[in-house]
Amino acid sequence: MQPDFSKPQRQSSIGVIVMFANVLVEYGKAMAPFIIIMLIKAGSMTALVFWISLPAVLVVIALIAWLRFRNFTFQLDDINKEFVLTEGILNKTRIVIQYDKIQQVNIKQTLLQRLISVYAVDVDTAGSVDKEASIKAVSHQVALGVKEHLMQNIRKTSVTSSEQTSDETITKEVQTETPILKISLWSLIKIGLTSNYLRTFGVILAFFLTIYENAMRVMDGTGYRHHDVTGYVKQDFTLSVGAILVAAILILFLVINLLRVVIRYFNYTVSKQQGSLLLSFGLINTKSTIVKPEKVQETFVTQNYFQKKLDILELRIKQATNGQGEKHNNAIEIPGCDKKETNHLLELLFHTIPEKGVMLKPNYRKLVFAIFLSIVVPLGLLLIFLPEEFLIGFYWIFPVYAALRLLLLTVGFFRYRLYINDRFIIKTSGAWDVTDQIIVPEKIQAVSVSQLFWHKSADIGYLTLHTAGGNLSFQLGNYTVIKGYVNKWLYEIESGDSNWM
Amino acid sequence: MFTNETIDTSNLPRFEEIPLTKLNLAYAKVIVIMLTFLFVVFIGLAIAGSVFIDEWQPFRVWIFLGVVCAIAIISLFAGISFVKKGFAFREHDVVYRHGIIATTTMIIPYNRVQHVALHEGFLSRIFGLAKVQVFTAGGHQSDLEIPGIAKEEAESIKQLLMSKIRKEL
Repeated sequence: MQPDFSKPQRQSSIGVIVMFANVLVEYGKAMAPFIIIMLIKAGSMTALVFWISLPAVLVVIALIAWLRFRNFTFQLDDINKEFVLTEGILNKTRIVIQYDKIQQVNIKQTLLQRLISVYAVDVDTAGSVDKEASIKAVSHQVALGVKEHLMQNIRKTSVTSSEQTSDETITKEVQTETPILKISLWSLIKIGLTSNYLRTFGVILAFFLTIYENAMRVMDGTGYRHHDVTGYVKQDFTLSVGAILVAAILILFLVINLLRVVIRYFNYTVSKQQGSLLLSFGLINTKSTIVKPEKVQETFVTQNYFQKKLDILELRIKQATNGQGEKHNNAIEIPGCDKKETNHLLELLFHTIPEKGVMLKPNYRKLVFAIFLSIVVPLGLLLIFLPEEFLIGFYWIFPVYAALRLLLLTVGFFRYRLYINDRFIIKTSGAWDVTDQIIVPEKIQAVSVSQLFWHKSADIGYLTLHTAGGNLSFQLGNYTVIKGYVNKWLYEIESGDSNWM
Repeated sequence: MFTNETIDTSNLPRFEEIPLTKLNLAYAKVIVIMLTFLFVVFIGLAIAGSVFIDEWQPFRVWIFLGVVCAIAIISLFAGISFVKKGFAFREHDVVYRHGIIATTTMIIPYNRVQHVALHEGFLSRIFGLAKVQVFTAGGHQSDLEIPGIAKEEAESIKQLLMSKIRKEL
């Protein structure tokens, strides 16, 4: 039995716990320095007073949480086509979001929410100016009800403006959720072992740097002399130890990467719901997202050498963003599909599988410039500015770095292509992770072409296609050809009344 | 009667061949005034520095030469930038060309325009000029600003664009 959403509704009463946790974290953060001081000065009189008054503070926090819970209501106003939230104890806030401004409705669950089996409903809007609206604790049934209700109404309003999608969606049964893709644990393991090395490397590096810093601080405090320790480390740092250490770090690296991917994307399910794709995933926090094919602006398909051998791909989808910030938040990732599943998904998004058309190659100057910028300049600067005694024994690094970088740049240069056919523009790039960036000409918002004056005689230039999800740019292609296609795309956009969103 | 003839894609209108409207000459005055102000500050600082800071004394000639060079280069670039800027409002899109070292041409179809705004700077207002701003859903990079258009012209451009947008809706 669904409650009447057209009247203001409170959250589940057990949701008070979530409120309590939120307030606790909020106040805890603000008081963190104070609490730490009290912990250090444990014996003093002020600390004693603090610890005695702590229960009272907790009671106040509980009261605040309860009041917040009492004053929080949500309402689905079908007459004015608005989603209304009211909150606040002394300062009342009323957030009103028109149905047709709603971009996504996500049902989420944190660990705490999972423990008391409530769900959060996040309503994302197109404009970044609007506050993000979030219901923090409702039962699963209510969460689904709200989402269903909103999605249906969004559909209704958009159907009146765009006729072409309406026929398909209305004839389809409402509320059928047929899973079309389930990513197995095995696929996730494959992805975890083969992707995102750089991101994980950054995480681990940061981790070790903090540990090192803290260790040094502790040693300073305990009376070890700084260079005693470093001297000791230097002495014992033989080759074998080094090799073991490197191996250990590599294994740790893989394990952390694997865990990260599995925790984040566990039980990834893609299902079809009224013409949209419904994605849900996560081990600790379950996230669910809706992708509407007509709102997709850019699609990325990425695969590296290992992944090719294992037949897995990563898919990334960018939907329309009207606002400025939080661009990275809008990318939706689907990790670990095989070729068949990817094609199936692409078919759902584009109605056909994107094909690569006429090929455009970059000019050789792109490679020359890249070599200059990422090999000649940094190495040259190092040679000039680092003192000689610093460099002795490290000269071998220079040719090794240059050779590796040259290899990557060259491979990347020969992979760098733009494919154009009537329906799709696909850019392929990358040396190790090879990415296909796919956009549809109707989604183009603006076109820029650009040429440096010394490239005029070579007839090469830059192309940038702006979409509401981001840009696609191609460097140093044949300028005459590019301009020809720009004229064609402009003609298509301006003569049609295609819906880009 | 319904027709569906093949379109000769090689005969489509070419954005690169249309004549562009140059910016209003009054806008050159605005730039000159702004640059003059900047240069006066520049020279003032240089003179004050070489008079009051002892360490600068031996380099007076070099400071003088440097300031002259900087002024020459900035003026040259400002001149090129002004001459190179050009715009055109076609039947279905707006074309804007700009850039000193790289010549960039940006085109926004009217049916992708989200809204249009007029902006009047302090100096521009004195000379009766305005800046037309065209916004799309593609974020900052795909927005367009055309400075140095006479106020009435800018107003009518805005009206034109608004009517085009409304027609699309």
